[in-house]
Amino acid sequence: MSVSSFRILAGAALLGLLAGAWGIIERLLHGLNPVAFGSHVPWGLWVAFYLFFLGLSAGAFLVTMLAYLFGQERYESLGRLAAFTVLVCIACELLFITLDLGRFERIYQFVLSPNPSSLMFWMFVLVNAMGAIYTFKLWFLIKGDLGKVKALSWLSMPVGLLFYGANGAFFAILLGRPLWNSALTPVMFVLAALVSGGALVAFLCWAIKRDDGLTLGLGRVVAWLLVALLLMELAQIIIAHQSATPAANAALGSMLSGLPWWLHVILGGVVPLWLLFGGQTPKGVAAACLLILVTFVAARYAFLLPDLGVTRLEGLGPFFVHARLSTDYTPNLNEWLVSIWVVSLGVLLFALGARYLPVTGGREEGAEHV
Amino acid sequence: MGMPLPVEDHLITMQRDLKRALAKEPGHVRWTMVIDLARCIGCHACTIGCVAENKLPPGVVYRPVVEEELGRYPDVRRRFTPRPCQQCQNPPCTKVCPVTATYKNAQGVVVVDYDRCIGCRYCLVACPYNARTSDFGEWYVKGTAMAEGKLVGREKAGQGYEATPAAEYGRQWPVRGQGSPMGNARKCHFCLHRLAVGLLPACVTTCVGRATYFGDRNDAASLVSELLGSPRLRTLKPELGTQPAVYYLN
Repeated sequence: MSVSSFRILAGAALLGLLAGAWGIIERLLHGLNPVAFGSHVPWGLWVAFYLFFLGLSAGAFLVTMLAYLFGQERYESLGRLAAFTVLVCIACELLFITLDLGRFERIYQFVLSPNPSSLMFWMFVLVNAMGAIYTFKLWFLIKGDLGKVKALSWLSMPVGLLFYGANGAFFAILLGRPLWNSALTPVMFVLAALVSGGALVAFLCWAIKRDDGLTLGLGRVVAWLLVALLLMELAQIIIAHQSATPAANAALGSMLSGLPWWLHVILGGVVPLWLLFGGQTPKGVAAACLLILVTFVAARYAFLLPDLGVTRLEGLGPFFVHARLSTDYTPNLNEWLVSIWVVSLGVLLFALGARYLPVTGGREEGAEHV
Repeated sequence: MGMPLPVEDHLITMQRDLKRALAKEPGHVRWTMVIDLARCIGCHACTIGCVAENKLPPGVVYRPVVEEELGRYPDVRRRFTPRPCQQCQNPPCTKVCPVTATYKNAQGVVVVDYDRCIGCRYCLVACPYNARTSDFGEWYVKGTAMAEGKLVGREKAGQGYEATPAAEYGRQWPVRGQGSPMGNARKCHFCLHRLAVGLLPACVTTCVGRATYFGDRNDAASLVSELLGSPRLRTLKPELGTQPAVYYLN
């Protein structure tokens, strides 16, 4: 990464850390009291950001699978950057989800009293497994030991698919949640992760490596994955619409009338598809991928909130009234400040790594560095 | 609690049933609640009794009463449905807890280990009855008028009422603000701390219409066992297969 790019990225990240500091201080001093979500909408913006970074981390998975498992050698030059990106994304994921816990100081209970029937426990196992695999993978990529990288890629294939699928299953198993409770959900999670992660890597490929051939190649992969994802989402809507239960109607109505959903469909779907299948220029692919990326938080928000906002027992709402017992939710300033802080930390880590670690050059450069 | 009276309040009958149940091995008891909707007058006394008994902070409720208006004018009526935790025998909430902090105890009551709960709120999302709430650390006295040095001032009120913890699960919890259950998932536990000392749950004793019945369904002589034979019996959302231990009489 050039000095000027590093300065811009690191400067923006430091500003973000400064801006978000008050949010983090409030969160640490007062627990979950400053947040806007409550008992009927128990998850909010931070979980949407967790899902966002989960998707981005799939980029490395996609690239390393293409390069080291499916023999697409042209993607090998991206291997280290991709592996480093996934580590930063996993760090942000863990930070968001930890801050979302009401009693995060007891996180050690995952080890002391695990519950193997809970998908959250398996997500804990799988996210740590992914972190460990990609740490070793990055190390061996920098050393240039492609034999071990290939072995780790074989290992990360089932772990990665389980990880992204398990995150979908986490929602799919919940009874009476009309949009989530479907066998489509885990598959959609894998697809959504690959779309957003692929878009991230394609954009970085254009922005940092200036490799037009790779950018165009990745753009084609992202385009077809995006088509598949949008078709799955259409299927989800048709199924919910046809079931026509009050809960499904309410969740669907909430999703389709919300700005996040339309941001995802128009700016994160239709416009990128037009750019990706249109002129096929590297700049166009980069713009499309950037659009997919920035609207992906909206996509995750539009997935998360509608089902949470459905009252599960008709008539429960109006008679014991408190802000924490409302089905209306809009993220407040504290949640945004904390989000800015965590994202800025991720950007700073990425900038430092891209500047001072041998992750952006070719295979030889890394070996020399080691 | 000797011989049954010719006509006696249901509370007396249930108190006698409770005494019999407490004499049994805990594993042989199955606590059950039956709520007669025809007797519920929608006074919300059970909700408030529960809040007071368990010192519930704002935004935490174990037993709200659902109110519905049914029919079309002029053929209309209101229905009141108290909704404690349904104490499912096939509970969706315990399966999703990643750290086994919530589980079904020997008597079929779904409990929360406040010292183990990490506050992830997955159980809240999994419960199909919205029967769990999270303690977000709210206070009644915050933002109220301050009268320095007066007995009725904010700080005195805070110390006297809400800072003093309830004896949930028969435990001494820290002064509010210094640990659990703040940040935890919370739910109705059939007032296990009261049962342990021979008292019926607070919602049962505060029910003005005597609409809430409680006892051991494994005891054939108990009032709840008798009520379980009623053709008016139903459960909430039976199609989900959760097998609640809270029944309703229509």
